[in-house]
Amino acid sequence: MATSDCTVFIVDDDVSVRDALALLLGVHGYRTAIFADAESFRRAYSSDCGKACLLVDIRMPGMDGLTLQKWLLESGSDLPVIVMTGHGDIGSAREAFRAQAIDFLEKPLNQERLLAAIEEAVARHSAFQAERDRNVVFTELARSLTPREKEVMDLVVSGRHNWEIAESLGISSRTVEVHKARVMQKLRVDSIAQLIRLSLGVSSEGET
Amino acid sequence: MNKENLQSVDWTGLIEPVIPPRKMRWLDALVLVTGFIALDWVSYFHPLLGLNITPWDPAPALGLVFLLRFGWKSALWIALAIFLGDALIRDLPFTMSAALAVLLATGYGAIGEALRRRLKSEEIFVSRRGLFEWVLIVVVGTLVNSAAFIFALTALDLIPISEWTAAFARHWIGDTVGILVTMPVLWLVSGERGRAVLRLLVVRGETIALFLATAAALWIAFSVGAESEFKYFYVLFLPIVWAAARQGFSGAVLIAAVIQIGIIVAVSRLGFSAISVLEVQMLTVVLAILGFFVGVVVDEQRRVSSELRHTLRLAAAGEMAGALAHELSQPLTALSAYATACDKLLQQGDTGDRFRDAVRSIVSESERAGEVVRRLRDFFRTGTTQLESVVLEDLLTSSVASFSGRAEKAGIRLTLAPVADCVLLADRLQLEVVIRNLLSNAFDAVSHPSAAKRRVHLSAVMEGPGRVCIQVEDSGPGLSPATAVHLFEPFASTKSSGLGLGLVISRAIVDAHGGSLWAEIGDHGVFKLVLPVEGKLAHGDK
Repeated sequence: MATSDCTVFIVDDDVSVRDALALLLGVHGYRTAIFADAESFRRAYSSDCGKACLLVDIRMPGMDGLTLQKWLLESGSDLPVIVMTGHGDIGSAREAFRAQAIDFLEKPLNQERLLAAIEEAVARHSAFQAERDRNVVFTELARSLTPREKEVMDLVVSGRHNWEIAESLGISSRTVEVHKARVMQKLRVDSIAQLIRLSLGVSSEGET
Repeated sequence: MNKENLQSVDWTGLIEPVIPPRKMRWLDALVLVTGFIALDWVSYFHPLLGLNITPWDPAPALGLVFLLRFGWKSALWIALAIFLGDALIRDLPFTMSAALAVLLATGYGAIGEALRRRLKSEEIFVSRRGLFEWVLIVVVGTLVNSAAFIFALTALDLIPISEWTAAFARHWIGDTVGILVTMPVLWLVSGERGRAVLRLLVVRGETIALFLATAAALWIAFSVGAESEFKYFYVLFLPIVWAAARQGFSGAVLIAAVIQIGIIVAVSRLGFSAISVLEVQMLTVVLAILGFFVGVVVDEQRRVSSELRHTLRLAAAGEMAGALAHELSQPLTALSAYATACDKLLQQGDTGDRFRDAVRSIVSESERAGEVVRRLRDFFRTGTTQLESVVLEDLLTSSVASFSGRAEKAGIRLTLAPVADCVLLADRLQLEVVIRNLLSNAFDAVSHPSAAKRRVHLSAVMEGPGRVCIQVEDSGPGLSPATAVHLFEPFASTKSSGLGLGLVISRAIVDAHGGSLWAEIGDHGVFKLVLPVEGKLAHGDK
């Protein structure tokens, strides 16, 4: 069951559809915010809106839903998007999914599918956010590493064996073991696998 | 009896499969035999040597109709009828007349079988091909049959050798003319649908006028022109062409029958010689065949145009349905969301304001959906329109707005000139379909790689009092005279998708609004749409 700390942004040019969807999602425990067009949503949106998702119609005067979806993606937002349309065609469905839509719903909407999609979107958004939080913590902790420890960590993450690391840094394998243990302790990870995963998450985020 | 009714019957009425033959009942046999003898008796004038060789012999036509309807067994009854006819009318020796009857009936049976086989998949008297084959089979069949019959008569010494050719010509022409002129009307009378068509035809005012015209033409041909050897016979072509052009094959058949009867009455009252009667009959058959062919062509053309209208109606409905589906999906989406919310509210025991508002919204959304459905149904029923006052500027602005996204994406400069302030009495949805279609075409034209500039310009200026001209211009390559000619024909699309019905439907919609839509030939694309204006926008109306 959804909790009230999730917000669903509804963008549709039809006043009844907006109103009805807001009521429906409201009684299912979501907070809702409604917008008559893409522009007003764009003005109001900021990335620190907490757990949320966007439910948007494709065909609207002015900016259409797919363009809005692409704008969000390009501006680096991780807000999950559910696309609705009265004219479902393969082209727009493909476009929506390429821009990482959670679902592509045809009007008239199937309520169960809508609710399932919203649940999935919210779950995905909180997963994103948890991941982001973890990354933030990890980056923070990584600052406390000494330069030598950082060097050792990078080599560990790139998959080198202890003796290889020892050779390339000109230190003994024993010293490498010590550095590795300190790195894991400082970064609060229990295994090498976890270390690799977290550090990859940070570096991939840094690339985008 | 309304006109519509007839229009819908008169060409389908003849489509009756020739095969399979029906089972012959005793009553059918009785009708065949008595009818055959009666026709034989009526047409028994100018006989050659007291034999059944007359310049007009419609009885075989009845025989062929029965052969087509009931199969080869009818030939037995035809043989009986010929035998009885000879006995009653002509008083020949029994054995001889029995042999001759069998000979003739075999011949007719063969012609009937040939017709049935040749035309089995085809419907007789419905297409030019069917009609042509019918004429051919009858002419060739009677030729062979008459040759055999006259040869037998000569062999039996009933005809002197010297009379052979004259007897053959008279018998052959008599049979051919009799069958060709009379068989279609008998065919119609013998079928249920044919009878219905004739019934509808006879009660029409125009048919009465046609009868009068035919009578007048007969009078001119045989009274005024009596001394001058059919000098005015051509006048008889007028009523049959009139009938064929207006009423198709069935009209031609009816008038041909009337003319035939008139001619027979005239020649017997005027005491024409046998040779003259033969000549008149030749003219009659030419006249009848001409009428039948014109009639069949008219029927075919009518059938094709009716099929096309049907296709267009479906296509237009499809186009409308697309537009309406969008309008319908909105209230339906709202409806199901409201209803699901109500269900949830009930579960939560919340029947307060929120619940009541939702229920009220359900009612108003249902009405909105109902309105859309009503519009669609109206369109299917009449193909016409739901007229309302439409502010032209709003219509064009919203159409342009719905294309602005596409324009931006394709790098097309889409502009709208200031719109003359006027109100149209029109179907908003249908006009939107038209304008969207024109804009869409313009976009396709400027998206062509050869188009240097990409501009689409929409404008609307008053054109004299009471008319406004909406113009969609694009910077595309424009239309050549050759393209412009076919542009508004269905299936003439240059696009790979769609059936090319967009402009056809657009024009149909504009026509229904009392306006006109055309393309100008030039170096860039120009479509003009002129619509009647209902009034000026009152100030402060907006």
